[in-house]
Amino acid sequence: MSETTEKIESNCDARRRILNIAVSTVLLETGFESADKMSLETLTEMIQSFFTEVGNSARGYCELSGRVEPVLGDVMMALINMGISLQGLEQYAARPNRHVIQPPQQAPVPRTPAMLSAGSKAKPSPHIPFHLPPLPDPHAYIRTPTHKQPVTEYEAIREKAATQKRDIEKALTKFLSKTSETHNLFNTEDNQVYPLIACKPTFPAYLPCLLPTDQVFDFDELEYHFQVANRTEDMPADKKDQSDNEGENGGDNENANNSQSENPDTTGISSPDRNKSGG
Amino acid sequence: MQMSRMNSPSVGMEEDNGVGHALSDFLLQLDNYTPSIPDSVVAYYLNMSGFESQDPRLIRLIALASQKFLSDIANDALQHCKMRTSSQLVQSSKNQKGPKEKKYIMTMEDLVPALQEYGIIAKKPHYFV
Repeated sequence: MSETTEKIESNCDARRRILNIAVSTVLLETGFESADKMSLETLTEMIQSFFTEVGNSARGYCELSGRVEPVLGDVMMALINMGISLQGLEQYAARPNRHVIQPPQQAPVPRTPAMLSAGSKAKPSPHIPFHLPPLPDPHAYIRTPTHKQPVTEYEAIREKAATQKRDIEKALTKFLSKTSETHNLFNTEDNQVYPLIACKPTFPAYLPCLLPTDQVFDFDELEYHFQVANRTEDMPADKKDQSDNEGENGGDNENANNSQSENPDTTGISSPDRNKSGG
Repeated sequence: MQMSRMNSPSVGMEEDNGVGHALSDFLLQLDNYTPSIPDSVVAYYLNMSGFESQDPRLIRLIALASQKFLSDIANDALQHCKMRTSSQLVQSSKNQKGPKEKKYIMTMEDLVPALQEYGIIAKKPHYFV
């Protein structure tokens, strides 16, 4: 809506400007050098009102006599009714210093770029009049199914499930090998080719079998066990790969801590001994 | 001008008939005289009030009439302006550069009395709200 009003206003502005120019031309012919802005606007307004009035009156006279198209007589009556004298019109037309203003150029219609058009518009059927706007894009009214019917064959479904399971396993193992600790088959330091996910056995390995916990009563204890199994603080760096030492250290320290009489100092001292014995 | 017409309508009508004949002839010659205002602009404003004509000469006639009207008013305003400047010239004794103020500037002071003679009262505020 605002766009159409803007367009109308700009059309009026263009013609208004032409009227301004015409008024200025007439003033120049009369002998004025320049004009006040307000007086120019007043005269332009006057001329515009003149046209409107003549148009209205002439149309009224024309319709009064039962016609639709105005004739010279209607225009004459309108002019006389307004009090404009038609006497010196011919002499005025033939005055020597006349300027003619160029009619306004037709501005090119701004083409709205064809945006979001998918597919070609269908040709209108012969029963549709030609003056109606063209048909919209075919996707607006043609319905096509968006997905295929699912496969219901038993074989295909089994196969799909199997491949999916395999893919999931592969992906998960890859992910874990990249993010968590890895275990090397070979004796090299940095192994990117065949990473194995490091398994961390607890010591003693038979303990959870002897003491099955189907219910967790104490979460602190569970967390403690977990932390102990994963501790790496007092382990020497070169022995980190060997899972036996890791398990032993973890297990020994655990046993030492489990006996209540031990104090942290002795555990600190005893662990290097254990290391030596284990090494 | 319009007062005389109102007083004698019958006489005016006969005059108009004569003028009408002259005008109808004039209309045929109108192609030679192109008015200053372009046809499309005049046609636009006439169309806005419902006057649609396929004959371009009619539109040119209206354009010419409006132009003449405008030039009459301008002439009257020029007279006012000249009267004012001539009175100023008479008052000012020192006049070194021959005829002073060859340039005439159209201002509201000259325009308003000129319009008043035609029955158009123009009151414009000095500022726009």
